[in-house]
Amino acid sequence: MKCEILYPGAFPMVRVYLNEAETVKAESGAMVAASPTIDIESKMEGGFLGALSRKMLSGEKFFFQTLRASRGAGEVLLAPTVPGEIVLLDLDGVNEYMVQKDGFLAGAEGVKIESKMQSFTRGLLGGEGFFILKIGGSGQLILNSFGAIHKIELKPNEEYIVDNSHLVAWTSTTTYNIEKASSGWIASLTSGEGLVCRFRGPGVVYIQSRNPGSFGNWIRQFIPVSE
Amino acid sequence: MNLASNALCFGDGLPATGAPCHVTVSADGLRMGPVKGSQLSEESVAFVGMSVTAGGLDHDQLVVSWGGGTSARTVYLKEPALIIAFRRAAPPTLLAHLERAAEQVRRARHSHRAWWGSAVGVVVGLGLLLWFGSDLIIEWAVARIPVQWEQTLGETVYQDFLSKETVLKEGPAVSAVQEMTQRMTAQIPNNPYTFRVSVVQSPVVNAFALPGGYVVVFTGLMKKAESGEEVAGVLSHELNHVLQRHGMERMVKMLGLAAVVSILSGDQQGLIGLARQLGLELATLKFGREQESEADVTGIRLLSDARIAPDGMIHFFERLSETDQARVELFSTHPMSADRAKRLNAELAALPKQTPEPFTFDWKTVQNSLPASEPKK
Repeated sequence: MKCEILYPGAFPMVRVYLNEAETVKAESGAMVAASPTIDIESKMEGGFLGALSRKMLSGEKFFFQTLRASRGAGEVLLAPTVPGEIVLLDLDGVNEYMVQKDGFLAGAEGVKIESKMQSFTRGLLGGEGFFILKIGGSGQLILNSFGAIHKIELKPNEEYIVDNSHLVAWTSTTTYNIEKASSGWIASLTSGEGLVCRFRGPGVVYIQSRNPGSFGNWIRQFIPVSE
Repeated sequence: MNLASNALCFGDGLPATGAPCHVTVSADGLRMGPVKGSQLSEESVAFVGMSVTAGGLDHDQLVVSWGGGTSARTVYLKEPALIIAFRRAAPPTLLAHLERAAEQVRRARHSHRAWWGSAVGVVVGLGLLLWFGSDLIIEWAVARIPVQWEQTLGETVYQDFLSKETVLKEGPAVSAVQEMTQRMTAQIPNNPYTFRVSVVQSPVVNAFALPGGYVVVFTGLMKKAESGEEVAGVLSHELNHVLQRHGMERMVKMLGLAAVVSILSGDQQGLIGLARQLGLELATLKFGREQESEADVTGIRLLSDARIAPDGMIHFFERLSETDQARVELFSTHPMSADRAKRLNAELAALPKQTPEPFTFDWKTVQNSLPASEPKK
């Protein structure tokens, strides 16, 4: 499997080359186009209960689609729903990424996806919900974001503060705590930041340059209210 | 030789996501084996000079650090088998570190569970509270009603009631009741209420107290009583219903959530409006069994504090229940059971013995001053 990002920027697409018998799993609905040698299967990753829990708990799609090059090598074009950049990550079997629920676009066959319950405070206040995706295994992982994607590299014990709604993914060696943006509650709320995540390295944090929730609120004012 | 990676190594010159490496535990330290494509070279690290903590998102990884400056290295171990092997081989000097790391993990897991447990507990608790504990919610809501509202509310109903009745303005009966009330209210610490007691001309053998401290005694009750202490006993019981805010609790219970909401939103007019709809039902509210025993017990204590013979009420009830229970209104709201008498007597026995001080009035004179039972309309 080989990946290439087309039209990098706000409206990218991923071209995935598959050798014969290779597969790629993608978010349901992500396929844009494919060679005629590719078959599309719907597969519930982790079995029915696993898929159900992922659907119910993390809000991810119930089914992933599996694209299999069953009749010879071919290519698949994949695109996310929201405008925003795509990033390719290599998983080597030890590395694990925590991914917020809308961040997963596609992954190689060896990539393992599970829903993970967060600690109570993180789930309640972190902005990603109580369940996030824990993605490990080996092979290429394709994540998408809303807006541009930015990588923050943290050395051991180095800290960085991220507005929780801008989070896309972070490595499992990175820990974080939720805290107020300012020292006081009033200042935290009026500054518009509210709660932030303080990440501590080592590891990598991917953030998106736009906040989907704020964008939704902004666009709502232009939607006519029906009676 | 290339091995599968089982750990991530961090440090200067290594990728931020960590360099994959293969770690094995030997008798004197760790052996780091390179894996395919890794920037790391083979290295042996002695236990001496290492430090250990727990790390990772869920504090479930063992973090081993050594070296300083640009050669500082940190390795994250995740495989349980590897962590166990490390613990077995580590020298005692490192064990302190290890114990601290393990304690961190335990604490993190514990707080994780505690949070989820308490979240579930709160949800279940709220459910149970709504299901079984509406009384507790009512008490909580009532405790937030300002005394002044309660008085406004009680007074509204009190004036409504008195306007339809013949009230004794003066005379031995009025001063007797006032003396009893004064002796008792003087003994109430931090009394927020100003009690007002009216004697109403009526054959009804009853007395009641409205929220806010408005008490009505019927002449029928005074005629049936054989002493001032018996009337004082009933009065003490009624005063304690007011002090414990039982009337408010019953009212909120009857009016339901609307009242609770209006209380919490500070809507005094709304509350009074609701109370007026109830009108005199407020005066004849049936209290719950628990409220009755509470008023019984606190009533007897108040009598004793005021040095009024505290057995008056018991005698009164016992005597009346033997003779004319069916005709006495007091019993419709205060049924006298064997249990209740037993509880009252037990409470009486537990009180410190005090020499009662008699009232200044002569009870027979008071009774003789009472007008004929049928008020002139």
